[in-house]
Amino acid sequence: MAENRKIAYQDLKAGQEFPAAAFQVDSATASDYLKAVEEENVIYQNTGLVPPMAVAALALKALINAISMPPGTIHVSQEFEFMAPVSTQDTLTSHATVSRIQARGKLHLINIDISVLDQKKQPVLAGKTGFILPVS
Amino acid sequence: MPASFALKEGASLPTLSKKVVQENVNQYARASGDFNPIHIDADYARQTPLGGTVAHGMLILAYLSQMMTDAFGRDWLSGGKLNIRFRAPARPGDVITASGSVRRIEKGDGYQMVDCEVLCRNQNDEPVITGDARVKVRSHEADG
Repeated sequence: MAENRKIAYQDLKAGQEFPAAAFQVDSATASDYLKAVEEENVIYQNTGLVPPMAVAALALKALINAISMPPGTIHVSQEFEFMAPVSTQDTLTSHATVSRIQARGKLHLINIDISVLDQKKQPVLAGKTGFILPVS
Repeated sequence: MPASFALKEGASLPTLSKKVVQENVNQYARASGDFNPIHIDADYARQTPLGGTVAHGMLILAYLSQMMTDAFGRDWLSGGKLNIRFRAPARPGDVITASGSVRRIEKGDGYQMVDCEVLCRNQNDEPVITGDARVKVRSHEADG
């Protein structure tokens, strides 16, 4: 999803699917993430477990890298469901689909559904992201 | 589940407070790959309507997830749900407090579905994130 040419947000259509993106929350990334959010829960210490919000952040990264968003874009809403623990050894694949586009005056509200599967094709995370974008 | 948290309707979740610092915002950008200049470039951000850098909404949302992990342990990692709205930006220097309460508990076969109201607010008591969280608590945890 993160490759090559970004899709201009004006070209997005409801139902549009983004190419799947593979990623891994390796131990270095997990460590950086834990420091950034000051997470010290023992559940993540020497267990290889990854905070679910780190998985969510990297799934969103793939999405952000796929779309050319205008300045002034605001992340307004977010839903997540965490279905299974993720470890630093897992290889994940994120899928994203535009679920809704609404025009409200000079703003567009875009909702995107996200799902993340592990290497066994088992779902580990699902989400809905809402952005408001100014119309140029 | 921490000993200080007794799971029952109306119970308060264990609160968590953190000061937002630019260094953590920068580190979050590196970890998440979100290098939007509104988060990390003070000169750019100063010229926007926000007037300065703001933390990634997902960084602040991570505090809520931490609170839920502190309260429910591994059950949060494999049976947690969040449904939130970002209400206001969090800026470096802000102190964000994540809090919540148990709204309802539904008993199932070998588990309890716990429905919570959750909130992040800043030092001025302004809501930054509001929403709901649900977690499926397996009976081995609930009995603990």
